[in-house]
Amino acid sequence: MAEKFDLNEREVWDGNYAASQALRQADVDVVVAYPITPSTPIVENYGAYVGNGYINGEFVMVESEHAAMSGCIGASAAGGRVSTATSSQGFALMVEVLYQASGMRLPIVLNVVNRALAAPLNVRGDHADMYLGRDSGWIQFGAFNAQEAYDLALCAFKVAEDHRVRLPVMVHQDGFITSHTAQNVYPLSDEVAYNFVGDIVPVDDMLDFSRPVTYGAQTEEDWHFEHKAKQHKALMDSREVIDEVFAEFEKISGRKYNRVETYDMEDAEVALVGLGTTVETARVAAKELRKEKGIKAGVVAIRCFRPFPLDEVRDALEGVKSIAVTDRSSPGGAMGAFYNEVAAAMATSKSRPMVTNYIYGLGGRDLSIENCKEIFQDQKANADAGHITTDIQQFTGLRGPKLGFFKTARG
Amino acid sequence: MSVESQDLNLCANDKRGKHQLGAGAGLVGWDEVTQGIVLTSFDGDASDIAHKKAEERNYSEFNSYTASVASWRVQKPVFNRDICIDCQNCWVWCPDTSIISRDKQMLGIDYDHCKGCEVCVEVCPTNPKSLLMFNEHADLDESLAAWPEKKKKEKK
Amino acid sequence: MAITSIKNLKEFSTNNDRFEGAHTLCPGCAHSMIVRELMNCTDDNLVIASNTGCLEVSTAVYPFTSWDTSWIHIGFENAATAVTAAQVMHKVRKKKGNLKDNDAPVKFVAFGGDGSTFDIGFQWLSGAMERQHDFTYICLDNENYANTGGQRSSATPVGATTSTSVAGTHSYGKKEKKKDIVAIMAAHGSPYVAQLAPNKWKSMAKGFQKALETEGPCFINTVSPCCTEWKFDPKDTVGLADLATDSLMFPIYEIVNGHELNILYRPKNPIPVEEYMAAQGRYKHLFKPEYRHIIDQVQADVDKTWEMLQRREEARI
Repeated sequence: MAEKFDLNEREVWDGNYAASQALRQADVDVVVAYPITPSTPIVENYGAYVGNGYINGEFVMVESEHAAMSGCIGASAAGGRVSTATSSQGFALMVEVLYQASGMRLPIVLNVVNRALAAPLNVRGDHADMYLGRDSGWIQFGAFNAQEAYDLALCAFKVAEDHRVRLPVMVHQDGFITSHTAQNVYPLSDEVAYNFVGDIVPVDDMLDFSRPVTYGAQTEEDWHFEHKAKQHKALMDSREVIDEVFAEFEKISGRKYNRVETYDMEDAEVALVGLGTTVETARVAAKELRKEKGIKAGVVAIRCFRPFPLDEVRDALEGVKSIAVTDRSSPGGAMGAFYNEVAAAMATSKSRPMVTNYIYGLGGRDLSIENCKEIFQDQKANADAGHITTDIQQFTGLRGPKLGFFKTARG
Repeated sequence: MSVESQDLNLCANDKRGKHQLGAGAGLVGWDEVTQGIVLTSFDGDASDIAHKKAEERNYSEFNSYTASVASWRVQKPVFNRDICIDCQNCWVWCPDTSIISRDKQMLGIDYDHCKGCEVCVEVCPTNPKSLLMFNEHADLDESLAAWPEKKKKEKK
Repeated sequence: MAITSIKNLKEFSTNNDRFEGAHTLCPGCAHSMIVRELMNCTDDNLVIASNTGCLEVSTAVYPFTSWDTSWIHIGFENAATAVTAAQVMHKVRKKKGNLKDNDAPVKFVAFGGDGSTFDIGFQWLSGAMERQHDFTYICLDNENYANTGGQRSSATPVGATTSTSVAGTHSYGKKEKKKDIVAIMAAHGSPYVAQLAPNKWKSMAKGFQKALETEGPCFINTVSPCCTEWKFDPKDTVGLADLATDSLMFPIYEIVNGHELNILYRPKNPIPVEEYMAAQGRYKHLFKPEYRHIIDQVQADVDKTWEMLQRREEARI
């Protein structure tokens, strides 16, 4: 039996510590990991729980992130509960095997502490790594603070291992701002947390020798398409299970999660759509603007980045006049990837609002409340003019001459 | 030498070699392919499979045992039991699991899985050899009738 | 006892095959001879991982598998990692008592070609060896990237022509010496490493059994003559392996606990490497007079290595 870990009703944890506590409470069997800033403490802590008898699992520190995810795949195919953590370059090194994990339908939980991708080398938070995973076939949850990093990690195991899903899940939190800032976290008791997650029931278990299985067969043009389609269908169908799990989590915690979160959107005329810690900043800006200038500003946040909730995003933004979609990743010669997804959603709306794109916060550059207010005010100007009054894509919080691209053909 | 000893279904499970590889057989839609590309080797409980002979196993449709590569052959090895000393050289070196040995005796060839590589003939130590290559369509009795005599030792 | 008796070939042949036919390896491929021996020398449950390569692409082409045991392939480089992580999971689940059969003996094995072992998977293999997992890694060394059409690997020997070390008017083929993978693996502190060959079936099967029974990370390099890329007749695969071991191009030996070196096959009259080379198309160009010195150089290297192995065997260091 594992040693008892004493918890207070309210703890002061940073996002990394919160995530590692979720791994302990879920009684993860094997963590295969390689350290990288800022995610390192998650796996260090798991290792310390093993070292001090708080958990009966095994911690394997391998020689690279590629090996970490490779090991997670081998361990997961061997039927137990598996998790790891990474960031940035480590995530990039894992990418090859991320696709293998989802293709083999293995319920691995990866805690991603979002960090910029080099060059130039940078350890701070942006969403370049998260975006790199967006076509990998994983479910992607976004936590905006330490409490959510803990809550969503517990939900992630339950979703991933559900036999209707059987897909790996990433839980994203922003590097440093979430991962290294001590915040109030209200943990569940070990018993409540474990009962919520439940025992893993293996599927196609490599250690069940009454039923030998072959993992990782090759498929060419006569089979590959059908397999990828089936995998995509499973990812799309996971939406229902995610909603169920979030509802169940609310019952035990009182904390309600939605695949799309909305704040002050009931009467909103302008909106900011964001991911990660940006959401909390934007919420403050929206509230202040409502008071200061009477601008009906609201915020839409994506909790579940994959599968992308196209319909729910559209419904949340229906009737808004001008929308700012914020991308915290260098767009690499295009509109921001998130912008493209939200704009595509709005192209199917009744109201067909204006949609603009803001690139911000690269390499950990702070996005201030003032920045958010300016973005909202741009939208208000658009709404009043009836067309986009700025470049469609703008850079926010950047030094030097104003940088922007593309003009609207309307107006 | 009897024809029975060259039974084409020698020790064969009834599932052996019934699928052609790459023939597009069994193609199903996305809703019917296996989850995670996983293939199961057997149907039912296969706990003790190492102690079961091929003919006793419950192979799944996914096991390549149920497939055939007979079409790869241009020539086939023919086995002459009268000469064989059951040394099992052919068994140990056959790359295609196509030498059928039971109870230390060489019985014959699995023609569903033999690709005609001729390794078995090459490693056969008897004089004349107990395995020889013949045209794929050669008649068995005629092949056996054409078997060479014992060769005198060549001087090296 | 899970290791089955192999006093002689007749006895060995009573074991039931767990590697099925109708895989799509080339006719006469030595890979499957080696894999069959591994799987036939034990009746333990096996969890096997394969790196991408000839073996992998030929034995699990959807919707068929040739493996009667649990098997996994992820990528070109990570079979050692996958199988050792599965072994760690086995340990945890056994401790927690939640395996279907908690007492069933199980062995963990990884296969890789020389490309994935010597080159692209080298780091993953080194990591798994260093972590002292209880597993056996078997390299099927055919000295080139045969699966992608025969490019040079760091296992390709001096003088061989490959599609990326082309012998032509200005080149005699590969110029760099083959990496000594066995020594590198022994240097990881492995309790058992060996180089074995399928023509010497008994020493190979016994070596496999030793590796499976030895606790800790074991490594075996196996000679796998490749009729397609070495350019010889498929029927001659075993004969080619004979030439390889008799010329000492592939000395057969084991190193126990890093220092106890045992030579497992000592040809009475070693044949010149020239004879081994002459049997293969990949060395054909070396028989021009201007490349005589390359053959001589290879012979000198082989002699030196053989001398070294014999001295190490004697010295026990």
